[in-house]
Amino acid sequence: MSGARIVAIMGKDLREFARNRFFVFITLLVLVAYVAIFWFLPDSVDETVHIGVSGTVLNTDVGGVTDGGTAGFALEVYPSEEELRAAVEEGRGDIVAGIAFPPDFLASVAAGEKPTVRLLIPAGLPAEVRLLLQGAVDEVAFSIAGSPPPVDPITEAIVLGTDRAGAQVSMQQQMRPLLLIMVLMVEVFALSSLVAIEVQERTAVAVLATPVRIVDFLAAKGIFGIILAFVEAALLGILIGAFAVNAPAVIVILLLGALIVTGFAMISGSYGKDFMGTLMISMLFMIPLMIPAFAALFPGSTPGWVKIIPTYGLVDAMIRITVDGAGWSDIAPALLMLAGWGLAAFGAGALVLRRRVATL
Amino acid sequence: MEIPRVGPNGSGMSVTIADNRDVTTSSDSPATLAIDVDDVRFAYGDTLAVDDVSFTVAPGQILGFLGPNGAGKSTTIKMLTGQLRPDTGKISILGMDMPGQREQIQGRLGVCFEEKNLYLSMTGSENLVFFAKLFGIQGFKPEPLMERVGLSTRLDDRVSEYSKGMRQRLMVARALLNTPDVLLLDEPTAALDPVSAIGVRDIIREEAARGAAVLLTTHDMHEADDLSDHVAFINQGKILTIDTPENLKLTHGTRSVRIRARHGADIEEEVIPLDEEGAEDRIRDAVSTEGLLTIHTEEATLEDIFVEYAGRGLT
Repeated sequence: MSGARIVAIMGKDLREFARNRFFVFITLLVLVAYVAIFWFLPDSVDETVHIGVSGTVLNTDVGGVTDGGTAGFALEVYPSEEELRAAVEEGRGDIVAGIAFPPDFLASVAAGEKPTVRLLIPAGLPAEVRLLLQGAVDEVAFSIAGSPPPVDPITEAIVLGTDRAGAQVSMQQQMRPLLLIMVLMVEVFALSSLVAIEVQERTAVAVLATPVRIVDFLAAKGIFGIILAFVEAALLGILIGAFAVNAPAVIVILLLGALIVTGFAMISGSYGKDFMGTLMISMLFMIPLMIPAFAALFPGSTPGWVKIIPTYGLVDAMIRITVDGAGWSDIAPALLMLAGWGLAAFGAGALVLRRRVATL
Repeated sequence: MEIPRVGPNGSGMSVTIADNRDVTTSSDSPATLAIDVDDVRFAYGDTLAVDDVSFTVAPGQILGFLGPNGAGKSTTIKMLTGQLRPDTGKISILGMDMPGQREQIQGRLGVCFEEKNLYLSMTGSENLVFFAKLFGIQGFKPEPLMERVGLSTRLDDRVSEYSKGMRQRLMVARALLNTPDVLLLDEPTAALDPVSAIGVRDIIREEAARGAAVLLTTHDMHEADDLSDHVAFINQGKILTIDTPENLKLTHGTRSVRIRARHGADIEEEVIPLDEEGAEDRIRDAVSTEGLLTIHTEEATLEDIFVEYAGRGLT
């Protein structure tokens, strides 16, 4: 390999990138927009769930359940079911749902009967909150009747990072890996476009008619792609505080992420016929690669197959570091997986681009 | 079947003609040959693109490759640049094996591709400086080359703003920046206006005079006739013949003159075969006729001869 020739090709690529107004615009826009989104998001979590209640049950001492001061569970009393229903529908007073106890609830429960309690649940309410409400009703019944409530079945769920029950993660923290992955994805498109232009304009043929060897060409594309993706992700990382904890580990994670996206960019660039074609092929890679980051927004809802997505290790390691303050040993499995995927993606990208250039 | 060939510098070449019999009139030893292609064959899948082609080009010689689209000209060039590896046969450039010593050969090779594969977002001079770096040329100054191809006033303009002809001239400049010993020019005057085409042809002659071996592919029979020491006719992957343009025309042309003269209100045309008895007197009479308009020799064009060999035209 010739270092001087690799540097010359990278310099040329940088010049082409810098002169492409679209790439520059998208790069700057993404950077500014993502930083703005990040700092606009709340950096703290209100862990109190506000629930509206109607019915005579609140006139009776039923323990902590009806105590409005209990952490994480605030009750707001409404005089009638109709008013409670209106409050839930309009979302008044941060109420997420309502429980309408029947007028004879206390008497029925005390008599060992099963009165009907209406749960007023708005569309889109997470299943977890619905279960919480059912649990609350059971607890009230238990307090009054003195008998245990039914036990809910346990459902298996995958939680990215640590289960944050009782120690919620702010939106900012949740969005951080997503934003970093999204900025890496933008560079998939930029780099794949550069590769596509080289292939479509057949300038690669002219380059390879000089003493440049194919390994020089591939190395130049790979190194440039990794640097391009890493620098932008690192810049965003600095602006959103991703390096506050274990910065060396974050650098390694971003480098490995850049390796993965560069590999996919070389694949999509090899086969993109034009701007739209390259965009579409890039999207085929970008969307699946972003799934782990979206899944991190909803801990407990992630299906098992998400773990095999190449960027899962990136999200997992990033959350462990930035949220839990994890050390190297904690993220080693995620880093190993990320490195494996990085090498595989980069190797596949180099192979595909090599074959494509050979057929020009 | 032996085809007589006389090169301007006494060099010769060997060729496999359509019936695949080897013909050699070469006086050059392989060591002095710039390009030596021996029984090369290449197929794209089941499609045979180059079929047992052999030819040589000596330093300072221009070989014109004449053939229609799909004849195998560009595939041959791709094998010479190392883009494609021959299925069988041997290619030697400057005494080195291609693709075995590809890197060493490419340092001494200048290539002008048919497609305008330039970096459009970069200026003309930036394109040249970039490729000079790839050749490892230190302290390269693009100005003299840009001036040579008539682009000195457009040095700092982006190639995207160049016309087709200007891009073509920049392609020629790029092919020359390493002062190559072997020049492979694929349709170098395509898209050029007549004046620019003359300029590029002058450059090709200058490069040959400097000692570069030139392989020139073209559709343009006049260009091939004008520039080439030898021309090779290629069709369906086979070289049909190689000879000097002059020999081909003499061998295949008709020795006659066509005379047009006005007689009263009519214009009459007469063809006089030169080998016919009394031809000299007839020509003298025709020239002394008062109404003489034009006299043309009737030698065959390269296109006529190509049709004779290939059974089809160049386009």
